[in-house]
Amino acid sequence: MLTQGELVWLVAAVARGDESAFEQLYEATRAKLYGVLLRILGRPELAEEVMQETYLKVWSTADKFDPTLGSPITWMVAMARNRAIDIVRKKGEVSIEDGPEALSVAAETPAPLARREMTEELKQLLSCLGKLDPEKQRIVLLAYYSGWSRDQLSRKLDIPVNTIKTWLRRSLLEIRECMGR
Amino acid sequence: MAEDDHDALAAEYVLGTLSADERGQAQALIGIDPGFAEVVRQWERRLGELHVMVEAIEPPPEVWDKIKTDVRTLAPKPAIESPPVAAAVHEPPKAPELPAASPLASLASSLLSPEPVPQPEPETRVPKAAADLSAALLSVAAPPKEAGRSADVIYLAGRVKRWQRMTLALGTLAALLALFVAASIFGAVSFAPTPSSMIVRAVRSQQDRLVAVLQQGPVAPAFLVTMDTQNRTLTVRRVAATVETGRSYELWLISSRLGNPRSLGVVGNDEFTQRALPRNYDIDTLKTASYAVSLEPAGGSPSGAPTGPVLFTGKAFESLPDAPPPT
Repeated sequence: MLTQGELVWLVAAVARGDESAFEQLYEATRAKLYGVLLRILGRPELAEEVMQETYLKVWSTADKFDPTLGSPITWMVAMARNRAIDIVRKKGEVSIEDGPEALSVAAETPAPLARREMTEELKQLLSCLGKLDPEKQRIVLLAYYSGWSRDQLSRKLDIPVNTIKTWLRRSLLEIRECMGR
Repeated sequence: MAEDDHDALAAEYVLGTLSADERGQAQALIGIDPGFAEVVRQWERRLGELHVMVEAIEPPPEVWDKIKTDVRTLAPKPAIESPPVAAAVHEPPKAPELPAASPLASLASSLLSPEPVPQPEPETRVPKAAADLSAALLSVAAPPKEAGRSADVIYLAGRVKRWQRMTLALGTLAALLALFVAASIFGAVSFAPTPSSMIVRAVRSQQDRLVAVLQQGPVAPAFLVTMDTQNRTLTVRRVAATVETGRSYELWLISSRLGNPRSLGVVGNDEFTQRALPRNYDIDTLKTASYAVSLEPAGGSPSGAPTGPVLFTGKAFESLPDAPPPT
């Protein structure tokens, strides 16, 4: 398991065109990204496509990675998620209906990590999430992990869309204030 | 309050709950508003760590093989994304009676010859007409006002690592790939920017200009369409297109969101035609639409729909760098 420092070093090497560093970076991060993508896209062939696009983008834009803004994995996951959500939104969310989306509530929120595995940022985020009431917490986590839109959240939880919108706004505002910017 | 709205938009963008249209708006805003881009980054910082709890799943080994191949094709660094090219080539043009596509390589090599850059295709023939058109394509990198400085643009363009414009390549597969190669030339001339200039570029607009090159093949009339989405102007440049008496070329935007093709106006006989971009097309529609030029009676289509032969068609797929900011 590579440390943050090692990952940052690899990204810097990739920025210089180091193919072997790129391969090491891929090896260290591929399962995380694929897991994120498969959850959102539901279909392996789509997830594989976005993997390709994302890593190409990593290769092309490694010189723009700013380590002060976050970790390499967070940077890469953000790129992958953005692309995946663009895809599911454009597909009109119809094909996603028949993906493996019928997850029970328990499966939707991932298994808890041992506290010592968590970074400070994550601990703070989880503590702030914990301050939300459970229904709102669930909506925020569902949204992040499955990449569902407000409409999908509304349909699957049987809650009016406007309520979802209001709850999301308020929850995100509370998270922001709790984390102290 | 607008600031709170922007914060909410950024937060939901990062979380992923926005609709397709709202995502388009957010992405456009990221491109043109550095303040908003910063708010989005803040939200990514806040929420980004949630990925830690996602279960890791091993992808199939073939994924790496494909990535490795793609990366090799992009060498030398800096590279540009190849997936958009793949997307473009899935849409073969429907233009009637197209001339047989010339080998990509002849145009590719003519574009490559001014620069000592290793080329993927070892073809060496350079037909003169292809060289002429390649010169026309290279000078597209500058907006019309700066056309005289094309040599400077090639040198300076290499310094900009960010794509400032979208290139809409129309025409045959060969033409599409030729433009891909042309674009990679600009990117391939690399002068490592200083750290401070990297940060500046990180907030430069990514989407304020769209460029379309409309051609049937390496030796054919061509139309270069530049759309400045910030100033909302459209400029069409004719390259080697003969002026047809009694006929006019008309530019069309074709999008599944709009139904019928929409006219973007008649192309004038001058080298450059500039007009305002119609307000009712958002950036996402412009980026994802197909573009086409048809040959109409003088003054344009009498019916509001293409009546003459549609000569070129294609989609957005790549970017060309803008001239860099003065240092």
